[in-house]
Amino acid sequence: MDILLSLGQGFLVALEPINLFWCFVGVFLGTAVGVMPGLGPAATIAMLLPLTFQMPPTSALIMLAGIYYGAKYGGSTTAILLNVPGESASVVTCLDGYQMARKGRAGAALGIAAISSFVAGTVGVIGLMLLAPPLAKMALSFSSPEYFALMVLGLAMVVLLAGESMVKALLAMLVGLWIAGMGIDLFSDASRFTFGLSELLDGVDFVIVAIGVFALGEVLGNMERRGEGTLLPVPKGLRNLLPTMAELKACRFAFLNGSVIGFLIGVLPGAGSTIASFISYGVEKAVSKHPEKFGTGVPEGVAAPEGANNSETGGALVPLLTLGIPGSGTTAILLAAFVLWGLRPGPLMIQDNPQLFWGLVASMYVGNVMLLVLNLPLIPLFAQILKLREFVLYPIIFGISVVGVYAVSNSLFDCGLLAAFGLLGYLMQRLKFPSAPLILGLVLGDAMERALRQSLMMSQGDLSILVSRPIAAGMLIVAAVLLLMPLFRRANALRVKAIEENG
Amino acid sequence: MKLHYTMLAAAFAATLAAPALAEFKPSKPVEMIVHTGPGGGADVLARFIAQVIEKENLAPVRFTVNNRDGGGGLRAMAYVVEKKGDNHAIAVFTGNWLTNPLTRAEAKVTVKDMTPVVRLVLEPAVIAVKSDAPFKTLKDFIDAAKKQPGALKQSGGSTTSRDNVVRQLLMRETGSNWAYISFPGGGERIAALLGGHVNMMVIEPQEAGEHIKAGNMRVIAQVADKRLAAFPNVPTIKEAGFDIPNVPQVRGVLMPPGVAPDVVAYYEGLFARLVKTPTWRKYLEEQQFEDGFQRSADLARFMDSFTSQMRDILNEAGAKVVR
Amino acid sequence: MSGASGRHRLANGDLWSGAALAALGGFVINEARQWEYMTVEGPGPGFFPLWYGIAMVLLSLVLVVSALRRSRPAAGHTGTDWPGIGRALLCWAAFTLSVLLLKWLGLILSLALLTLFIAKVMYGKPLKVALATAVGNVAGFYLVFHLALGVELPVGLLGF
Repeated sequence: MDILLSLGQGFLVALEPINLFWCFVGVFLGTAVGVMPGLGPAATIAMLLPLTFQMPPTSALIMLAGIYYGAKYGGSTTAILLNVPGESASVVTCLDGYQMARKGRAGAALGIAAISSFVAGTVGVIGLMLLAPPLAKMALSFSSPEYFALMVLGLAMVVLLAGESMVKALLAMLVGLWIAGMGIDLFSDASRFTFGLSELLDGVDFVIVAIGVFALGEVLGNMERRGEGTLLPVPKGLRNLLPTMAELKACRFAFLNGSVIGFLIGVLPGAGSTIASFISYGVEKAVSKHPEKFGTGVPEGVAAPEGANNSETGGALVPLLTLGIPGSGTTAILLAAFVLWGLRPGPLMIQDNPQLFWGLVASMYVGNVMLLVLNLPLIPLFAQILKLREFVLYPIIFGISVVGVYAVSNSLFDCGLLAAFGLLGYLMQRLKFPSAPLILGLVLGDAMERALRQSLMMSQGDLSILVSRPIAAGMLIVAAVLLLMPLFRRANALRVKAIEENG
Repeated sequence: MKLHYTMLAAAFAATLAAPALAEFKPSKPVEMIVHTGPGGGADVLARFIAQVIEKENLAPVRFTVNNRDGGGGLRAMAYVVEKKGDNHAIAVFTGNWLTNPLTRAEAKVTVKDMTPVVRLVLEPAVIAVKSDAPFKTLKDFIDAAKKQPGALKQSGGSTTSRDNVVRQLLMRETGSNWAYISFPGGGERIAALLGGHVNMMVIEPQEAGEHIKAGNMRVIAQVADKRLAAFPNVPTIKEAGFDIPNVPQVRGVLMPPGVAPDVVAYYEGLFARLVKTPTWRKYLEEQQFEDGFQRSADLARFMDSFTSQMRDILNEAGAKVVR
Repeated sequence: MSGASGRHRLANGDLWSGAALAALGGFVINEARQWEYMTVEGPGPGFFPLWYGIAMVLLSLVLVVSALRRSRPAAGHTGTDWPGIGRALLCWAAFTLSVLLLKWLGLILSLALLTLFIAKVMYGKPLKVALATAVGNVAGFYLVFHLALGVELPVGLLGF
């Protein structure tokens, strides 16, 4: 078989000692940086770019790709341990991961995140290897109406993220939409909700809101409940720190679900891993036998979004390597790197540079194994941080939050915003507003408005463009069903109640 | 006695002149301010400049990049003005620095508050359509746009970007009309064209290269003063018969306000040497940039005329111009 | 805390948060009306904000109304844990102050002060313990972020 032959040659390239070394450097740096909130793969790759000019392109690409997926691996660590989402896609991991940590299953949560990332990373590479050209075609057939439908579908997940009160969840989501709308409007150059501050012209970075609302809100909430708050239990012994067979079994479907959804959404240039993680979490909850337990620390709730986040890497490389179209900020920098090495990825790259492509694919298999081997022993080490007393731990969380936000933009103004969102997070917790819908609205709001306006510009104001295309219509129907589900449930409950009262 | 006085006067004059004659040299690392995050266009250029300076040994100190992204470029601009009198800070600017303050009331400073140093490159562009599109020339496209006003579509960046300026100028010149769909990322713009969701786009030549080679894209005109080496058979917009001013994408170097003329002269000289190096020439060729080198005085005049040209265009396009 | 007063407390919170969100929604609508709703090219910058502003007002009114209906059988005593809230807000104020001081003190000093405050005042630890925590904490930050990861930390007037 052709592919096997090419892959074999790829492994010959990837297993050259020098490439193995660079792959290790990449995944190691990536993990180190990924653990640190605020510093994402994009910034790290850009900083290390000049180093790679002296290297052969294959080794350089192997290292940079290692950073890319290594950083995604690391992103979940602070989310699970401290409720500090390190990057946008880890927000969903906070929901169940942090709750697992509170129940003494921090090690298990980290282990599941690592295993899920490994499975998904591998699925992503297989997808990249086998399906790249046809999927690239599919990505091109996606236009603004389809993106709009995808965003609506994402926002419909609010139904699954709502706690006791649907009204509060929807309000939180609307506030998220409002924050997402801050800054310069791409279409008209009008500045919206900037209060005359030039710092707000580019909008509010997602990391600031997520860290403020999740991490600081949680710390302040614990501060209030002093006395009740006790040390988090950290079980002793390696065996108790790793996931049990039962937990792994519960995640079977989540591994697959996260991998596939993450990969497919990753292929689309206008989507991204955050949406993928929200949708895979939603799907996992929708098909679960015990949806009510989500948010209290179920392993599937960690496995699905972590998987989606990691297989997105393989997906995002599809349009980059087959079409030369970057799908995300990180792939855009990889594209810049290619150009500086004198390569232009495009439809012909796989034929012109098979050694590079297959070497990269093979190195991603190798890198995923390295990451698992590198990360599993670190889990007990990381879990030790929960043994710290509150008066030590909380200042550390405050410090990490500030450093993480400052790393995004080197702006003290953003640190001030962080404090404001910390207060918002605390108030939301006090008043029982769920925080995940806020983040959902914030992440999707901008993209949804954009897709809607692009669609209507394309159709010259004709709304039917949104429903007349099959893929878009299909996604909108699923979204509608999701939104109406609670109403049906409620009607059903009323009916049952009525029957009981009558009978 | 008289001689004595003259000598004294000469000596006195010499001491006065000495500081002016003693050439300025940077004594600590020079900070290069850019308005994009790592990996953005200006950032990549700045890092490349730093690399060339180091490799060719053009300066006694290192040049480091400081990313002040955010605020649509205004944050970097405000930061440059804050560095007033700093001899070890330079900024890599783009056309956005000239255009953005025009429509943004939040802007507290403009490039008029800074010291021009050099203009480095002009980035040409090409007008591309999908390879199976019926338009063989720009005229075909414009005729089709006249027949069905608003039905054809162009993908591009924000309303103040060059893509839209070229469109506005062409529409005004020919009385035609087509839609402009903004996408935030370059990848999405290309995907929209290749997927057949829009009909035309303005794209950087080296970005178009691979898509043309693969047979997915066709270039129908060039946004440049003279034909690019890579597209010898494609007419410029003027050659295609449309008399609109050329809209270059400009990149160059500015300094904070209040720096002494000898400091400006030093950096001017540094970049004059930089643009002559083979590494730089090769870079321009690879990126298909035009050499746009201009010294401080010319750059100041260029900035004035560019700004007023943009003001007119934006006014006409219906954007809210605030200054 | 009885069930009734608990419900009352929550209803009270709903009332105020509903009112605040309605005001925010009103503000959003008011701002959105200043921007074009429809342009010749398609929906303008005011299109989307206007609709979510309206949705915000409507939903927050639902929240207010349901809070009013629930709180009618008002129990006299509200069981709000004011000292607890005070603690949380005090800690938030300290954090905010430390962030505002970053410009002058830099991360190392202001984080040390914040740590000191939390250990000494919020948790009533002895001064020695609090000092040791503060020093240990900032030393850890300096080692991990500055030396190991090379991350730029906010620098104060003293140069660190």
